[in-house]
Amino acid sequence: MNQTRRVIVIALTALLILVALFIPIPTNASAPQTRTLEVTARQFAFEPATLDIQRGDTVTIHLESLDAAHGLYIDGYAVDLAAEPGKRAQATFVADKEGKFKFRCSVACGALHPFMIGEMNVQPNFPFVRATAVTLIATIGAVVFFWREE
Amino acid sequence: MTMNRLELTQVPIVKKILVSRWLPWSLVALTLPVFVLAILAGLFGTPAGSRNFGIVFVWIVWWALVMLLLVPFAGRLWCAMCPIPAPGEWLQRRALVQPRAGGRLYTLGWKWPKRFNNIWLQNASFLAVALFCVVILTTPLVSALVLAAFALVALAMSLLFERRAFCRYLCPVGGFIGLYSQLAPVEVRVKDHALCATHKNKTCYVGSAAGYGCPWLVFPAALDKNTYCGMCTECFKTCPLDNLALYARPFGADLLTSRGRRLDEAYKAFIMLTCALAYSIVLLGPWSVLKETAYAVGSVEWWVYAASFFAANLAIVPGLFFACAWLARRIARAATSTRELFVAYAYALVPLGLAAWVAFSLSFVLVNSSYAWQVLSDPFGWGWNLFGTADWKWTPYLAGWIPLLQIPILLVGLAAAIALALRAARELRMPQRAALPIVAFCAAFTLAMLWLYV
Amino acid sequence: MKRELFALTIVFLIFVAFPAALFGYQAQRTTTTGARVIALTANAPANGGWQPDAIRVNVGERVRLRIAAPDVVHGFAIPALDIYVDEILPGHVEEIEFVAARAGRYPFACTRWCSVDHWRMRGVIEVIDPGNPDPPLPTIAPPLYQQMNIDIDAPHPAQNVPAQRPSAARGARLDVSVPGDLRAQSPSNVFAELRGDPALKAYSDGQLWDVVAFAWKRASGDPASPGADSALARGSKLFVRDCAACHGETGKGNGPAGRNLPGLAAMQTDSRMAHGAYAKRGPADFTDAAQMLGASDVLLQGKVLRGGMGTGMPEWRTLYSDQDMWDLIGFIRSFVFDYGMSNAK
Repeated sequence: MNQTRRVIVIALTALLILVALFIPIPTNASAPQTRTLEVTARQFAFEPATLDIQRGDTVTIHLESLDAAHGLYIDGYAVDLAAEPGKRAQATFVADKEGKFKFRCSVACGALHPFMIGEMNVQPNFPFVRATAVTLIATIGAVVFFWREE
Repeated sequence: MTMNRLELTQVPIVKKILVSRWLPWSLVALTLPVFVLAILAGLFGTPAGSRNFGIVFVWIVWWALVMLLLVPFAGRLWCAMCPIPAPGEWLQRRALVQPRAGGRLYTLGWKWPKRFNNIWLQNASFLAVALFCVVILTTPLVSALVLAAFALVALAMSLLFERRAFCRYLCPVGGFIGLYSQLAPVEVRVKDHALCATHKNKTCYVGSAAGYGCPWLVFPAALDKNTYCGMCTECFKTCPLDNLALYARPFGADLLTSRGRRLDEAYKAFIMLTCALAYSIVLLGPWSVLKETAYAVGSVEWWVYAASFFAANLAIVPGLFFACAWLARRIARAATSTRELFVAYAYALVPLGLAAWVAFSLSFVLVNSSYAWQVLSDPFGWGWNLFGTADWKWTPYLAGWIPLLQIPILLVGLAAAIALALRAARELRMPQRAALPIVAFCAAFTLAMLWLYV
Repeated sequence: MKRELFALTIVFLIFVAFPAALFGYQAQRTTTTGARVIALTANAPANGGWQPDAIRVNVGERVRLRIAAPDVVHGFAIPALDIYVDEILPGHVEEIEFVAARAGRYPFACTRWCSVDHWRMRGVIEVIDPGNPDPPLPTIAPPLYQQMNIDIDAPHPAQNVPAQRPSAARGARLDVSVPGDLRAQSPSNVFAELRGDPALKAYSDGQLWDVVAFAWKRASGDPASPGADSALARGSKLFVRDCAACHGETGKGNGPAGRNLPGLAAMQTDSRMAHGAYAKRGPADFTDAAQMLGASDVLLQGKVLRGGMGTGMPEWRTLYSDQDMWDLIGFIRSFVFDYGMSNAK
């Protein structure tokens, strides 16, 4: 493959990646809802550990602890709760960013505290869809770019 | 590889530093107090890991330093400053900075057994640590005992065996640092091989009045990859011909050479790849039952976990890859054995594996590194406040950005893996399409990582 | 040789002087306080509880407690000495200094819910007067429920139950006074007395219940601060700290820690329990008017200070002062009576 063709492959791949990153994706998502989620915390788990919500929802999380003091901090959202048995905590926020956000215990609670983790999936998970598309484009682009039949 | 290199030793100050006998001692003098404090804090400090220097500075600060900075950008530089083998090496030399006449070492000087002249023991020691990592990472006392055990074994081995046998053959960390150091943009190499051929004494290997023979049992003139060079700079001191250089080079240059590919190194690549995925699932995933099982050492469930962990590392992931190699062979109608393809292609996993480890490490390092401020002021959790930072709150850094950092890192690793897979097919005189099953394997792995984090 | 000596000195400093400095600093922190430093470790009961759980100090001695919590968040209180540390975070050390003026045994306890056995996490500080090391034991009057011969395990259904939640505010506007000491009587009986009074015929049942609610709110008041809010606020604080984990923040008996009480499970299979059906309920529902209005304050006090004898309900006699006890019971009434507090849910 000559130099020109390689430049074209690079440019085309980059272009397609940009398209995959920024093209608006049409959705027929339902109207935003108001949701109340009950989450319990114990050493060393949240229940439920996976929260599925829609972008635009107004979400209220109630945190109830079953054994000792625990927290709930959501990556990327400024949400940080602390609860213990007899002291529930709650926070309300608008899920304005889609994607997967890990949430984790924010009050030291014993050995596995740093790994007491759950996931909040704000659907539709466009970041994952775009990342998948970019991965496939990059794979094909790299194969074509580095392909050198002898 | 002589192309595209920049000789850093042409800068006089760089040269002066590398030739100086204060190196690597002065680097170890910096890390040794940290190591001593980490062990003392683990033994005598609070059992609360997030407030114990021994946990925070080893598994967050040191880990970030090694995995995010040193390995990708400086290869084995950590091995030059590692405090673990230092006491043994000093004891062997009965000296800290000065050379001994003739470089004679005080050790029984046993030869390392031939059958272990590979990194299988490092693969095993890494898997052993990895299996118990949930306990080691979270329990200061266990962490300190493991580190102390490393230091004691290193010391004992330096008294029994010649040179740095521990680092070269046993250290669980050295194994993967060596594997991934092939990607680093720096290398220690001889400038002119012809000059070495004229040099009868080979002081770089046997030592001289200026310094010790290569502690890593490497003959510098034979170096064609970073894997077993500990960057201790001893050869800079012992070469009378000024024939050693530190080069800056393109990332991953070592992987362009196809010589010396081995099954033990291939397995190192599988184990690292599998562990990056397994940790992303077990430690950072939302499945608490996995974490609790991994922590409940000795229970029936734990034995199932242990068996699955070994199966994934040693059979399932390599098995899938072997299937891809078999498919590649069928596609190419190649005469080469599947095993040879399997080993050769495995080196394509090196950049993919490092990218996966960087992605995994970012996720817990950024979230937990604020603990470092607290333990700096109160390393033992005894209520000290040396620098006024003991009560700083836990603050995840860039938590919302982590997936956005992980995506490009994983994609760079994937692109490099694809380039290497295609290259391997050419080296094995097969058509390019014989790399496609491997490309699919790498893409699937990348998507699995993305699915876990994004 | 000079270089070697220098390097050797540095290595010596790292291996010997550096650790010595670390431990020396800790020792110096202890000796320079001028107080007797006692290290106290707060572990959840399954991990060993308080270590040590018995501490002896002398009267007048300056004592500094250094409290560490290795596992989860704990709290610390010596109620009788008015010492409270509300939060000990894992890996942190909280220090508190005190001088005990009088000899005696002072129980201490964890004040943050730290595990299913949290309430077992107690210990005692014995303050000794060296001049009088063996004082006679103080005589303690038996609790009211024993003096009055009340069986606190017997069912106590209310004979009368209001149709709507009685309001102290509405009751205050009605010009009806309720005579006598309310502590020994159940609200239901007081209501029955009022209802039986021909002079009050004009009032509806609901109005008389409002009167009862107002009477109880006034009686729970702190004489020193009229309006009674401070006593109720103190009671509320105690309830949140010590009761809500099992009885629930809303008093409904549905707190997370009360769901699987080990003692309760045993009782549910034991037919010999005197009042089996009653004990099987689990944590009492303080919003249940049919039960609560049939109980006098003295009966409730008996339950709180004695505890549930194996149900999982702890005894509070050793930690609560009389005042604490009445403040708490005054507050518990607010789950049935509307005192105009925000906890009404």
